[in-house]
Amino acid sequence: MQFSMPSVGKWIAIALSLIIGCGALYLRSRISQPEKTEEGYKAAKKKRNLLMMAGVLALWLCSGLVLGSFQLGSRTFTVEISPARMDILGYSVSSSVVVTWIVIAALSVFALFVRFFAVPRFQETPRGLQLVLETAVGAINNLTKEKYGHENEGLASYFFAIAALFLGSAIVELFGIRPPTTDLSMTFSYALVTFVLINVYGIYKKGIKGRLQSFVRPKAIIAPFKLLSDLAVPISLACRLFGNMLGGLVVVELIYFALGAFSVGIPAVLGLYFNAFHPLIQFFIFINLSLTFIGEAVEEVE
Amino acid sequence: MTDIGLIAIGAGIAVLTGAGAGLGMGIATGKAVEAVARQPEANSKINALLLLGLALTESTAIYGFVTALVMIFTMGK
Repeated sequence: MQFSMPSVGKWIAIALSLIIGCGALYLRSRISQPEKTEEGYKAAKKKRNLLMMAGVLALWLCSGLVLGSFQLGSRTFTVEISPARMDILGYSVSSSVVVTWIVIAALSVFALFVRFFAVPRFQETPRGLQLVLETAVGAINNLTKEKYGHENEGLASYFFAIAALFLGSAIVELFGIRPPTTDLSMTFSYALVTFVLINVYGIYKKGIKGRLQSFVRPKAIIAPFKLLSDLAVPISLACRLFGNMLGGLVVVELIYFALGAFSVGIPAVLGLYFNAFHPLIQFFIFINLSLTFIGEAVEEVE
Repeated sequence: MTDIGLIAIGAGIAVLTGAGAGLGMGIATGKAVEAVARQPEANSKINALLLLGLALTESTAIYGFVTALVMIFTMGK
């Protein structure tokens, strides 16, 4: 990074926008806010809003101009489809694996902390952390029961763990590290676990014969199509999660690239959608679909 | 025409799947609104169904997107 001296015109623009911004915000603080029932309430509110917008816009322009005079080397738009690899103890390891290890370690520490410090202090009426935990566990239990049809503690705890892992990787993205969910091999392994669970639960509930019979129902001729659609489940789950996560990543990178030095404030607001809200929806859909497929496999057909 | 140009055209065609997905999602949402208007008490159930349906519909667009990405990132090298 190196600082290049702005030209005289640029200096004037910086100073002007700074003065306008500070002046607008100062003027805004001078306008007194009348009571809601008084005469000039609407006019004063409109004026205050306009001055606020002008001040923030001018300050944003100023920050962009100042940051624009720092040269960050050549800016090119690069997004890799697979994350970078790194060497650990002589093995070439994908960076998403390392990030997942870190997330797992953090989650384990948190879980141990909760187990040894928070759980003994749980009371009859939940408050604070206990309330959050009980709501989360209850929600997952309800979802499992609704989709799977029976109470199943093991399935619920597996999906709770997956949800925690996804949540951890979403938080990692907020720190600017590439989240492990943008790796196709990572999402595919999650989807593969779902595929195994579908078959294990299907065989466990109906027996091998019953599981095979579900392919030839209602007619034997549709067996190949049913087999194909069963095999497509892990691929579609993996590609859906991967595509959505990578799509969000690409969009955020594009915003940073397009705004250049002016990327102050705007990416934070858009990132709230693309890095926080959108992944959560996708994780919920992944868990929901997994449970739906498992529930379909164990469904009794008369 | 260069290879990279052909790849770009192919990627563009691949993401055209978004049109179908958009159409399907629009129809599904419209029907869900109709259903809620008819039976407001079934709101939560319709919502859950709609979300599931949208996820399945959206996957066509996502497949096109992933195909385009794979084309751009792996075929150009």
